[in-house]
Amino acid sequence: MAENYVAPNQQRYLRACMVCSIVMTLQRFRENGCPNCEEFLHLQGSTDQIESCTSQVFEGLITLADPTKSWVAKWQRLDGYVRGVYATKVSGQLPDDVRTTIEEEYRIQYIPRDGSVTEAD
Amino acid sequence: MADHYGGDSESDDDNFNPAPADMSDDENNAEGSSPQASRRAADYDQDDDEEEEEQAPKRATKRPRIEHDEDGEGEEEEEDDEEGGGGHDDDDEDEEDEEDEEDEEDEDDVQQRHRRKRRKEPGAAFFDIEAEVEDEDEAEDDEKDGEEIEDFIDNAHPDDIADSSRMNDDRRHRELDRRREMESSLDAEKQAEILRERYGKRAPARGHGDMAVVPRRLLLPSVDDPGIWAVRCKEGKEREVVFSIMRRVEERLGTKDELPIISAFERGGTTSVMKGYIYVEARRQNDIMLGLEGVLNVYPRTKMHLVEIKDMPDLLRVTKTPSLEPGAWVRLKRPAKHAGDLAQVLDVTENGLEARVRFIPRLDYGVRDDASSLTADGKRKRPGVPGPRPPQRLFSEAEARKRHGRHVVGNPQTNSWQYMGEEFENGFQVKDIKIQQLEVKDVNPSLEEVTKFAGGSEDGTENLDLKALAASLKESSANVVPGDMISVYEGEQSGVIGTAVNVRGDIVTLRVTEGDLKGQMIEVPNRGLRKFFKIGDHVKVIGGSRFRDEVGMVVKTDGDSVTLFTDQANTEITVFCKDLRKASDIGGQGSLGQYSLLDLVQLDPTTVGCIVKVDRESVVVLDQHGENRQVTPSQITNKLPKRRTAVAADRTGAEVKLDDVVREYGGQQRQGKIIHIHRSFLFLHSNDSNDNAGVFVTRASNVSTVAAKGGRINSSSGPDLSAMNPALKRNPAENTRMAPPKNFGPDRAINQTVTIRRGGYKGLLGIVKDTTDTHARVELHTKGKIITVPKADLAFKDKVTGRPIDPYTRGGRGGGYAGASGGRGGSSGSWAGGRTPVAARSGERTPAWGAPKSDARQPAWSRGDPSGGRTPAPAWGDNSGNRTVNPYDGSRTSYGGATSYGGATAYGSRTPAWSSGAKTPAYDGFGHGSKTPAYGGGSGDAWGSKTPAYGVSAPTPAASGNDAWGYTPGPSGGSGAFDAPTPGAGLGAPTPGALNAPTPGAYSAPTPGAISAPTPAAWSGGWGAEAAPTPAVSAPTPGAGTGYYGAPTPAAYAETPGDGRYEDD
Repeated sequence: MAENYVAPNQQRYLRACMVCSIVMTLQRFRENGCPNCEEFLHLQGSTDQIESCTSQVFEGLITLADPTKSWVAKWQRLDGYVRGVYATKVSGQLPDDVRTTIEEEYRIQYIPRDGSVTEAD
Repeated sequence: MADHYGGDSESDDDNFNPAPADMSDDENNAEGSSPQASRRAADYDQDDDEEEEEQAPKRATKRPRIEHDEDGEGEEEEEDDEEGGGGHDDDDEDEEDEEDEEDEEDEDDVQQRHRRKRRKEPGAAFFDIEAEVEDEDEAEDDEKDGEEIEDFIDNAHPDDIADSSRMNDDRRHRELDRRREMESSLDAEKQAEILRERYGKRAPARGHGDMAVVPRRLLLPSVDDPGIWAVRCKEGKEREVVFSIMRRVEERLGTKDELPIISAFERGGTTSVMKGYIYVEARRQNDIMLGLEGVLNVYPRTKMHLVEIKDMPDLLRVTKTPSLEPGAWVRLKRPAKHAGDLAQVLDVTENGLEARVRFIPRLDYGVRDDASSLTADGKRKRPGVPGPRPPQRLFSEAEARKRHGRHVVGNPQTNSWQYMGEEFENGFQVKDIKIQQLEVKDVNPSLEEVTKFAGGSEDGTENLDLKALAASLKESSANVVPGDMISVYEGEQSGVIGTAVNVRGDIVTLRVTEGDLKGQMIEVPNRGLRKFFKIGDHVKVIGGSRFRDEVGMVVKTDGDSVTLFTDQANTEITVFCKDLRKASDIGGQGSLGQYSLLDLVQLDPTTVGCIVKVDRESVVVLDQHGENRQVTPSQITNKLPKRRTAVAADRTGAEVKLDDVVREYGGQQRQGKIIHIHRSFLFLHSNDSNDNAGVFVTRASNVSTVAAKGGRINSSSGPDLSAMNPALKRNPAENTRMAPPKNFGPDRAINQTVTIRRGGYKGLLGIVKDTTDTHARVELHTKGKIITVPKADLAFKDKVTGRPIDPYTRGGRGGGYAGASGGRGGSSGSWAGGRTPVAARSGERTPAWGAPKSDARQPAWSRGDPSGGRTPAPAWGDNSGNRTVNPYDGSRTSYGGATSYGGATAYGSRTPAWSSGAKTPAYDGFGHGSKTPAYGGGSGDAWGSKTPAYGVSAPTPAASGNDAWGYTPGPSGGSGAFDAPTPGAGLGAPTPGALNAPTPGAYSAPTPGAISAPTPAAWSGGWGAEAAPTPAVSAPTPGAGTGYYGAPTPAAYAETPGDGRYEDD
């Protein structure tokens, strides 16, 4: 079972994926990549990629125990993701090339999680 | 991840079929079915998820259509769902599909049917049982579930209705179990592989696809969504709590007591209003209670409350942090030493997460390292050690080299240095700082702070870039207020000029004043407006630039900038029109920031100054040494509030307060009103001079009071400083008006033996060593220790006899006697004692006086005894005219005998004189007649000592030395009298005892006054004259104390003149 718990003394190494906003330690990103976005972000083993696609600046942690049932997950667009800890806001911007790749090759509309998308209402 | 996939299949499915589960959830919710039901449905339809998905979209499409008229989006969503459910092959069709929804739907149906068929292969019947068992296990309300599922299937697959719903269930269960079996037979690795293949790609794609297409308003929570409770937690521990919950969730996953918490989140942060809470999503409040049981730092048992559905989205609201641009101003949060300091962004990394900023360093260059807290290596202070932080100062290479020469590396040409691991450029510290450690909102750099950055050039000149600053402050566009003239420079209405009549949010309503639209009201967005000024307008700079508060006339306008000619400095300045406002007032500023004219400010710990001039960006301060300094507000430590209660003592020791008018003593003799008192310095303001705004500074000890505020009489307000001043006290001349006993000489209590009547030392015997007005320092016999005791607590005792005495009354007597006592030896304090000497004296005199006299006196004395004060008077008979009278009547007779003394030539002559004075004779006979001889006779030895005492008796000598009346006073006052009597006089204080009264009287006043004044008194009034003499006596009076002296004095003097007179005769 994946251990998503991060001890307080490790929390300074936390980073948040700029695409799915999952929050993990740098080490875990390096070892396992992003559980949701690995397919197109290829974070595993690549510190550079991790540096550019994840952010240390995030706020509002969410423990998502059951992404399928959670309204919070739905609202945060996390409902397709794995269980884990996510952030409500991730500052920083995905590098343009990565963004282009995602949008064109994977036909995913990337929505920044830094709060720049205002709610429709 | 692998093990994750390989884990319990149910949960895996949950995870990796998020879309279906989710959708079904959604759907079910929409239909009002219970969440549990939906969940079960999801679980149980593992194999059939496709079907469900297919159904889901249908409903999804219907809903949005009806509710929101959002066909397109609804469709999209639907398609996505289908795609997800349907498999990868459909992915590519997404886009095209959207276009023709109807067709799609048809297709869907086809597909559905197709799939269904493929799937619905009948399973072995025996699976049924197991499936049913499982069903029972899980189901809380089987029936309902079953019904629902039937419904479900009925709706979705009309074609399959033929089968009974039960059959469908069975099949599904069988299918599920078979699949499980198969899965479990594969190894985890492979399974993961398969799952990834099947869903891995899709999951994120779906997620993001959703994001793109489902507007958030469709995601708003409904009553069917789980509730969110706000749970109190320890502030600052929010993150930890969230992680703790995660851990717990994972620990219990798949166990019996799986955590019923669906999600939990925090929105902590030091500035957040939501700190101190975490928000937990769950079905029931009790779930949270259970789930958080034993989690540290969170308190579900106190103050848990449900968040209303309409408020739920707000909990997750995210606002974008404004992006940083080079040149922008920020405030530092870290390093702690610089917390709150202003910094300027030099550069921002690509991802916007780190910025290179420059700020003014706070270095102590190791000065404080010596004093305290060296770390083991002795190099640097431990970070985070609290202590006064050094002031902001630009980096100085020279200073850095003083102590840390080898830590300084750099290039003087570019003025960039490395010192103690930090970089410095042009004096500023330059550092890469993560944006979370920067405060980028509400920076509000003050002009003062910004000036420091601008003033960074070598020569110290300020080269503030107005534009840069304006840009940094340019948050609001034109801050228009109703009444402003504005012009529109953007949009359709561009060029329109009018008066703002209303401002509502960003919309400004203006009444057009010029052009074709004149008179019309139009609304324009604030953004496209600027304030409009005509040449010649009188305007004031209201903010945003360093010219703030300047007032002037507009001489040129050019787009945004307006040039004006200032009233004060007569210079042209250019500012943005948004920073201007029509001004009604004419220039002139009395203040700069919080500092205004005539304020007292602290410049450094030892220097204060009074602001005497306020310039635009600096103030001129007159410091306590009288020097002018020009300082910027930043150089001012703080403003010292006016202390109304401050007092100082002027050169005479009188207290002076604020607003008193004082004059310098010596020097220029400037006069002014006190506006500040700082320690011994007075800041005075005078209207006589314009220098330094009429302010000058002087020492308090160098002024004398001209007028105290409110007509305060200095000597009477507050403690009487002169009374406390031993020097003044010793000088009786000063105390003309009051001559209380204590005014003369040392305190009589000194050297007296006392017992202490109260307190811890009660009952102990000691000797008074020293006194103040209220306290005495007593050396205890027992302990050899000196203690301070209130005088009131002392009981005085006679040294020898131990009898209680009153040192003061006794002192009085003593005074009288003291003089006398010299000769007489230890006159004891008691009256008896007092008398004794008299008696002795009388003994002396006896020959002359004979028995009668002593007889005569005795009664007098006895009378006198009871009244402490008076007693002496009678004793001295001579002294107290009035009272004496009676006793003396008696005594006088006997004095008649004295008359015989009168036989003494001199006296003889006097006698008549006295006789002429009605009572005089009595006195005469009494005091002098009788005494004189005594003196005469006794004089030898007794004399010296007595004389003083008799200073009173001054007359006596006079009498005796009849010849020279002129000098009578002399002798009386002058002779031995003076020396001895002085103390005696001090004793005289005791005047209370009429006895002494005379003494001082005799001696101070009488001498001068006696001769002149008393004379008439004596002569004219006889005894009525008492009144008269009194004035004459007035001087002595003090000595005399109250009423009694009057008499004696005159008596005494009466004699004197009398004598004189006779002489004349």
